[in-house]
Amino acid sequence: MELFKRYVDVVLLQRKNGELIPMYVCWDNGRRYKIDKILNRQRRASPAGGCGMRYTCLISGNRRNLYLEKDRWFIESMRP
Amino acid sequence: MGKRIIFHIDINHCYAQIEEMKHPQLRDVPMAVGGHEEKRHGIILAKNDLAKRGGVKTGESLREARSACPDLLIIPPAYDDYIYYTEQVKNIYREYSDTVESFGLDEAWVDYTDSQHLFGDPVVTARNIQERVLREIGLTVSVGVSWNKVFAKLGSDMKKPSGLTVITEENYRDIVWPLPVGDLLYVGPATQRKLHERALYTIGDLANYPEYYLRKNMGAAGTMIHAFANGLDPSPVALNSFRAPVKSVGNAMTMIHDTESAEEVRPVYFMLCESVASRLKDEGAEGNVVTVTMRSSDLNWYMHQKKLDAYTDVSSEILHSAMELVEKNYDFSMPLRAVGVTVSGLRGCRGGRQLSIFADEQAHDRSRLMDTAMDDIRSKYGFYTVRRACTAVDPALTGFNAKGDHTIHPIGYFQGRKMIL
Repeated sequence: MELFKRYVDVVLLQRKNGELIPMYVCWDNGRRYKIDKILNRQRRASPAGGCGMRYTCLISGNRRNLYLEKDRWFIESMRP
Repeated sequence: MGKRIIFHIDINHCYAQIEEMKHPQLRDVPMAVGGHEEKRHGIILAKNDLAKRGGVKTGESLREARSACPDLLIIPPAYDDYIYYTEQVKNIYREYSDTVESFGLDEAWVDYTDSQHLFGDPVVTARNIQERVLREIGLTVSVGVSWNKVFAKLGSDMKKPSGLTVITEENYRDIVWPLPVGDLLYVGPATQRKLHERALYTIGDLANYPEYYLRKNMGAAGTMIHAFANGLDPSPVALNSFRAPVKSVGNAMTMIHDTESAEEVRPVYFMLCESVASRLKDEGAEGNVVTVTMRSSDLNWYMHQKKLDAYTDVSSEILHSAMELVEKNYDFSMPLRAVGVTVSGLRGCRGGRQLSIFADEQAHDRSRLMDTAMDDIRSKYGFYTVRRACTAVDPALTGFNAKGDHTIHPIGYFQGRKMIL
């Protein structure tokens, strides 16, 4: 299945120890999706292009890969 | 000294591959990274496999590349990204050794000798590094493993992409010696021609040729390449923190349009001298030799230099000498296409300065203060917030930031060290 790279706004929590935890993904249509759980966090290259720290997230029961690329975030989207 | 284990790791056509990683759809079309055509820095810096098959060569002009491969897609370089991603790749190497020496952006030597008992077999580690770079950064790298830097580099060039070549003291005669002599580090076209005149066509020919004759004809360089061909290169991989002392500071650029008089080219020189002066101050150095280079529109190079009475790191003084050289030595019968200025004969600033009876020392101090003030303003508010009035005459011609835009430095193999034999 082809994946598309989409930059998104992200609401973050930064912990005292410096750790970054994404809390919500904000879509362009104004909807906000809560990240229920972060399953793992690894450096990876994305098949949709780009690379960075990959957060595998559980968002309303779906697994989605969210990447921190340099200084911004993108998500591997099913739709362009 | 026990046998060393050295990796040379090379990111395969680096700039093009980083663009492909960022935009995977570029893998399906012939693509090359090249200079801005409208700004006339027009050469191919890197190409992908499809472009290579189409006959595109690195270093040729964009026009030549297009005539070889009409549907070539040319992308302007994004140096910030290349620096960022190659640094990420090198951070992976640094997890395996504290001695990682960069050779340009895309290549590095890693001394694995002392890490061996931590990570085990070198070949397995080399494969691990390849897999990790591909998985984490999305780039393929070629690795050469050997006991010296020169053969390690040859090894990484042999198989691409994702090649892994091991050159040992047992097999180097079979692997390295049949290669053409031009593949060896430091054998450029001129040296290659000299060697061919002696019927030395392969590295093996060179290795078995008596060193005495090479030294007689080519001097120390002859001894050096003879040693390289025999795998006798004891030069160490530099530590991470090693930084070669600076010998000269220069900037050059191709102008957005040709210039036809000294008056017209002066603002361009002013911008270049400002950048050189600012970089000298960053290094804490001052120099007393000014060199100007000029390239005319028929692509001839001219180079002139002059020794100053006193050491300087002040832009207006460098400009004064540079313009003197230009006016004295070039008549503008052909318009100029590219210009450059370099300051050498460097020494560290010692805070004090030998005063001269004849020179206007107060003017020197004033100009230096002005330079520092401009640098401060620029570092705080951005480069274009303050500029000399003369550069406002032709903003297109002088609309560049020589210091900030110029970030890739060519690197010599020895980086200021001496060869020990």
